Amino acid sequence: MDVSSLPISPSHRGKLISAGYSSLSSLSSLSPSRLALDLKISENEAVEILKVASVRSGQDKIESGSRALVNGAQTAWDMLHEEESSKCITTSCSNLDEILSGGIHCKEVTEIGGVPGIGKTQLGIQLAVNVQIPAEYGGLGGKAVYIDTEGSFMVERVLQIAEACAQDMLEYNTLLRRDSQACLVDKQPKSFLDNIFYFRVCTYTEQIAVINYLEKFLSEHKDVGVKVVIVDSITFHFRQDFEDMALRTRLLSGMALKLMKLAKKFNLAVVLLNQVTNKFVEGSFQLTLALGDSWAHAATNRIILYWNGNERHAFIDKSPSLPSASSPYTVTGRGIRNSTSNCKRVKLM
Amino acid sequence: MAPLEDLERDYPIIDSNFRMFCASHGIFTDTDFLMHDLSALEAFARQDYAPQKLEHGIKQILSIIESGQRPWLNGLELLEDSQLNKCTLSTGCESIDILLQGGLRAGHVTELVGPSCSGKTQVCLKAASHVARNSLGKVVYFDTGNSFSPKRVAQFLSFSPDPSTTQLNKTVERDMSSIVCHSVFDIFTLLDMLRQLRNNLRSQISFQMRMLIIDSLSSLIAPVLGGGGVHGHALMATAGLLLKEIAHESNLCVVVTNHMVAGEAGMLKPALGESWKSIPHVRLLLSGKYSANGTRIKILKHPYLASGKSTDFVVI
Repeated sequence: MDVSSLPISPSHRGKLISAGYSSLSSLSSLSPSRLALDLKISENEAVEILKVASVRSGQDKIESGSRALVNGAQTAWDMLHEEESSKCITTSCSNLDEILSGGIHCKEVTEIGGVPGIGKTQLGIQLAVNVQIPAEYGGLGGKAVYIDTEGSFMVERVLQIAEACAQDMLEYNTLLRRDSQACLVDKQPKSFLDNIFYFRVCTYTEQIAVINYLEKFLSEHKDVGVKVVIVDSITFHFRQDFEDMALRTRLLSGMALKLMKLAKKFNLAVVLLNQVTNKFVEGSFQLTLALGDSWAHAATNRIILYWNGNERHAFIDKSPSLPSASSPYTVTGRGIRNSTSNCKRVKLM
Repeated sequence: MAPLEDLERDYPIIDSNFRMFCASHGIFTDTDFLMHDLSALEAFARQDYAPQKLEHGIKQILSIIESGQRPWLNGLELLEDSQLNKCTLSTGCESIDILLQGGLRAGHVTELVGPSCSGKTQVCLKAASHVARNSLGKVVYFDTGNSFSPKRVAQFLSFSPDPSTTQLNKTVERDMSSIVCHSVFDIFTLLDMLRQLRNNLRSQISFQMRMLIIDSLSSLIAPVLGGGGVHGHALMATAGLLLKEIAHESNLCVVVTNHMVAGEAGMLKPALGESWKSIPHVRLLLSGKYSANGTRIKILKHPYLASGKSTDFVVI
């Protein structure tokens, strides 16, 4: 087993190889002080390297009596049951929820892109509020993390949407639960604001740092139950002034994997808002999502928001299980809602 | 390349006396042993005061080294192996099976490359459900983008567009229990899992595994590839070699997906670069956006079929 397949920093790897330790067995019976002396590194770093090496070589031994083909894997049947019992985050627009088969799903990374002014930030804020709808009303009862890279998060607007949401919940309560037990604790609009953790990042290094820090943040706040992470927008700091495109690809794919891992590990939904750009395809310019082809694979689902005449529409571009469909929606004073078209004639869908 | 001290744990004949004898001839690891003149070593051993133990030790080390090698095979043995063990698994899509003259072959690493939304994950899910439905064996699915959809697999298995209303009966449960899915988010974890899988399959515990799907390998390698160092290429090559080893030894079909990046003149080219091109046995290109009318699939590389042949397919 090779030292080059250990997840340690490149400088340590180089030092190990030049000092003659090229296989894991050569590290197996070494003391940290000896290693530190040989490599000229601190003893703490030597302890770390030996710990990683012993974990790796321990996994090589066949576990007698372990019947699993791959440790930690789940069968598709168990995953199906988990998926069926998990709830989605509603977007407050029933047409949109319908094409998404319930709303934004947890354990998945959803990318939402569109032209400026189409309502991406509005949708992001709506989701940050809707994730907090308590379980009794069919929601997730969780908290939200909002990472703002553009500075488009307006607290007054969040308050407005939160008030509308609280009003809707009250209406639902009075309409449908008259016969049941006493009215549940209704949420104050200000308490919606309490449950949104807001991070403002100004450079791409800060963005990467926040995403690296999120894992620690989420495991510290495990009892708190963050259920959605919204990044608005994921592309802003990577578009201008990035000279080294290869570095950009590596950073973006690394970031995508980390977000996937967070979604799976903490059972939350990750929503990434993206901008659009012009692409020269087959002789004409077409609008596509920014960051190119390599980023197109980073999300599990992709929704594109676009203008159709005077109406805003959402289109499912990429999904492993949903068919391609599109639906209209509007942005009102109360948030994202179904579009009520002004046309008096019945539209043929 | 193990130092001789480590071998003492498992083979007590290689004790400190023997090691001192070897050290006096400049032999510290098993590689040094191979590079030394063995007949001269044996002559020295005979002149020693305890010749039997030393000769046993030399024989033991030789047998350890030989057991780590693969045996030589001739063409007839390879043909027998390919006819008996390396069978073809259908992908679940008739048109792809016709194009590949049977489907995916055991022992081959097949790569599906295509732009975003061309249907790579759909083909993988369909192939997995096909293996499950016909109870051919187990499928291991390594998922890097949380795109393994059990709902879609249930749709394939029960022929119904809306699985929540269908009676999910015992056969669907049994079929879906033979597909095992694991999420992998970095290349080091993948290499560990592959080594673990190889060891488990080698230890003769009957798992009846037929297919291994990695969706997608390129998103694991992209963060480490490039940047002036060759470490990313080394990891990619290690992963490729491990996959080929597992495919050949345990007679599995290995399916790997790759994405595309911008190449010259605005054309798309497969990601992972030139060094990856020689690693998979079969490379299939899916072009265009996946639609209900059919997507084009083309053979880019195949050991015995002509490349350039293409057909349209649809995943129902």
